[in-house]
Amino acid sequence: MANRPFIALSGWLSFVAILVNGLAAGAEQPATIAAKVDQLLREEVPFANAAPKAPPRIDDERFLRRVSLDIIGRLPTPEEVTAFSLDPAADKRTTIVAKLLGDLRFGGNWGRYWRDVIMYRKSEERLQFLVGIPLEPYLAESFNSNKPWNQIATEFITVSGGANENGASGLIVAQQGQPEEIVGEVSRIFLGVQIQCAQCHDHPTDRWTREQFHQLAAFFPRIASRPNQQTREISIVATDVEPRQLFRRPMMNRGIGTLEHRMSDPKNPQSEGKLMQPVLFATGDNLPIGTPDAERRGSLAKWITEKENPYFAKAFVNRMWSELTGEGFYEPIDDIGPDRHATAPKALEYLAREFADTGYDLKWLFRVITATAMYQLPSSPRRGPEDPPMQHNVAQRLRADQVFDNLLLVLEASEPAPPPGVLGPAALRFAGPRRQFTTAFGYDPSTRRDEIQSSIPQALAMMNSPLIAGALRGTGNTMLARKLAAINDDSSLVQELYLRVLGREASQSELATCQQFVKEVNNRTEAFEDVLWGLINSAEFLHRS
Amino acid sequence: MLHLQSNVTIRRGHLRRRDFLKVIPAAAAAAGTLSWQDVMAANAPALRKAGKACILLWMGGGPSQFETFDPKQGHTNGGETKTIQTAISGIEISENLPKIARSLGDLCLIRSMNGKEGQHPRATFLMHTGYLPSPAVKYPTLGSIVAKEIGDPASDLPSFVRVATGGAGNAVSAMGSAGILGVDYDPLTMANPGRPPENTSLSTGDERFGRRMRLLDRLQSDYAHQGGREEVADHQKIYAQAARLVMSPKMSGFDLDKEPQKIKEAYGSSPFAQGCLLARRLIETGVTFVEVSLGPWDTHQDNFNRTRTVCNQLDQPFTALIADLKSRGMLDSTLILWTGEFGRTPRINPNAGRDHFPRAFTSVLAGSGIRGGQVIGATDAGGEAVKDRPVSVNDLLRTVCHSLGIDADKQNMSSIGRPIRIVDGGEVVKEAFA
Repeated sequence: MANRPFIALSGWLSFVAILVNGLAAGAEQPATIAAKVDQLLREEVPFANAAPKAPPRIDDERFLRRVSLDIIGRLPTPEEVTAFSLDPAADKRTTIVAKLLGDLRFGGNWGRYWRDVIMYRKSEERLQFLVGIPLEPYLAESFNSNKPWNQIATEFITVSGGANENGASGLIVAQQGQPEEIVGEVSRIFLGVQIQCAQCHDHPTDRWTREQFHQLAAFFPRIASRPNQQTREISIVATDVEPRQLFRRPMMNRGIGTLEHRMSDPKNPQSEGKLMQPVLFATGDNLPIGTPDAERRGSLAKWITEKENPYFAKAFVNRMWSELTGEGFYEPIDDIGPDRHATAPKALEYLAREFADTGYDLKWLFRVITATAMYQLPSSPRRGPEDPPMQHNVAQRLRADQVFDNLLLVLEASEPAPPPGVLGPAALRFAGPRRQFTTAFGYDPSTRRDEIQSSIPQALAMMNSPLIAGALRGTGNTMLARKLAAINDDSSLVQELYLRVLGREASQSELATCQQFVKEVNNRTEAFEDVLWGLINSAEFLHRS
Repeated sequence: MLHLQSNVTIRRGHLRRRDFLKVIPAAAAAAGTLSWQDVMAANAPALRKAGKACILLWMGGGPSQFETFDPKQGHTNGGETKTIQTAISGIEISENLPKIARSLGDLCLIRSMNGKEGQHPRATFLMHTGYLPSPAVKYPTLGSIVAKEIGDPASDLPSFVRVATGGAGNAVSAMGSAGILGVDYDPLTMANPGRPPENTSLSTGDERFGRRMRLLDRLQSDYAHQGGREEVADHQKIYAQAARLVMSPKMSGFDLDKEPQKIKEAYGSSPFAQGCLLARRLIETGVTFVEVSLGPWDTHQDNFNRTRTVCNQLDQPFTALIADLKSRGMLDSTLILWTGEFGRTPRINPNAGRDHFPRAFTSVLAGSGIRGGQVIGATDAGGEAVKDRPVSVNDLLRTVCHSLGIDADKQNMSSIGRPIRIVDGGEVVKEAFA
């Protein structure tokens, strides 16, 4: 890393200007914003090894692999890699980003991401099946239709009715309608403020008090997440009249809300507790005691998502920046409170403000970040604590669904369906191989990536799982059998497999290693099964670099 | 000294002098002036700790204390369940557990378990971790804590194996994982104790597997040199461990067919019986914590018949496990904890069922320094409340730590830098120990 040539500020600004000038009409804005972000970023965090040339930029193959995995969660096909490499257009990187953002798998990929953000913090395991299922398509459709982020947040906060019909119920149902837990998540996910730490007592290192936490909980006392006794379907129901005592069953699910929220007295837990007025800690906006539910949650959603809120746009930008470049301005990505320090705060402020000005346009943000020089830097391992920040794009582990989808894609295998006769909710609970992979490879996307460790069950699944073992055979009706028959030249076949599995061509030394291996094994089918096994089992396959 | 000697020689049945030296601080060994016995005495705590293991028999759904270890014959709340004498005069348990009754001399019944959580997943999580689930902190489960504190990091096999045979249902994930301790301490989970764990059977022969592993190593070097250095190093480490696991001769610990017919028959053939036998084999092979579940005990309807059915699946394997560990000299170093997430209501509902009742229920301990043949605490005549010596979930978990030589006050860091005690509060139930 140390001897990589980097350029001085003026030099790469002119490089960015060339990029901007080369863009198609109408697309100037994201590229202009991207250039400005890069400029602010490098004012705040200069390259450690500045040199008078353009900043290094990954080649077309690697860019296509990175951007495909980032936007649609899938590897490019060998045909796409070849076509992209040969395309002479100057603006082909912008064009491919636009194309990928129009692919329905964009919503699928990011819908699963946000489903995981919410569901990895669910308060009860069984809810995975009740909530995870409607939540995912709701999010996928929202991303594909480019629903503004403030609208998505508002829908999560103000949702009512049956959970099966409305995926936006996911956040509230995942916390079983408990006001304290809901607001902890609303604050963490939409504002990046970990106020739930103040639930039990004031924190010496944090500025938010226990009282402020419970004032936030006071926006949600009137709702409950109520399961229907017959159908088991959960509904979010609001109560604006005093509930009868009959409904209160302290040891069971909270079946009905209360009119007001009370903060318990830790010294006297049996007492009624202190009546709390709804106040949003971040802005001071508040409502009187007695306000109906719709107005409480509606006002909260408005105050959280409006441009004046100092956290809302920043929390989203910080998270997406971190996912795409590998390093957040704040880390962990959901902890951006006033007592935390950002790397390059001006660049973040600027990008967040521009994002808010677009009306929280999700796809716009993808276009901007992928157009930055920062995004297109070569990748490097996560830096050590003493190393300068944001010098490289950091390689990221693929998420469980991405690993699984890419296995299906490269092996041309299909996802096993539930056995015949298994329908409805049971079919959704079908513990097929995707679930096995999710169990082994899944992680909470809000955790710092350097805290996510590889595990032995992951290695075992890749090495030995019957699904993979069957699909990589070189005989029968498999991808490899077809390629073995169609491609007689060994080096072409090696290249085909490299393009397919890793999205790039093999290097000279890799090609030589594989050719030598095929010769030694002296059984073409078996040898290529082993090569395919090796590529699928490589660290590179499991990472977006 | 005699006590220490026996402790050393029985360790997992296989302790050799060489193993033993591994736990002795280098300074003491280097001094060379200490006699063998002096060294042993000086390192007694470390040694004892190193030899310890734990089997959690998880009774998913919440077993009825009335139909198991705290019957109330003659009281309306007791229903039709009769009591029987046990090996210990003065202690009576339910007629549903005749074999266990005869081995009561090894068991310590805690009839005054006392909690507040009446929902399956929350109570299951609480009993496994000592904490209620929280979106902010992934509290580690007991097996992961034990694996981290006293497991053998050099073992081919994982230190924590979970056999989710029954009763767990959807709540299996409420039993928790390593959480903040990291994946090294996650359980290796098996659904079927009669088969090796998932994906541990090679899809090719040994030789070809070796060939593939060597090819993989060579193919990774380019990526390693192009910015993937750490991912590749990490990946190779995990692959080496996984390969060592699948190729390990210790994998035979998972093979119940290696067990003599007589022993298999002593346990029985149900999944839970196989799980208990597997637990013993794995502990013997060097696994530190094995969790085996049985259920469903969630008898909202037809409590008496349904509980009897599950008791029938419990009685023989539980007794056989204790006897087997004892005859191999492993019971002194292996703690057995039998518990569910809560008990069941004293009042019998209109469906002849009993509902969730965390206020007064029974958990059972055996082995590893526990004094058997005793009852701790008591419920009142109708089993409606704890009458004597309440024991909380955290008291119980602290007692488990004490028995295994684990410092329950040790703190682990959560991902947002909050220190989390292994057990927060609670007191050791001292009278449980000999």
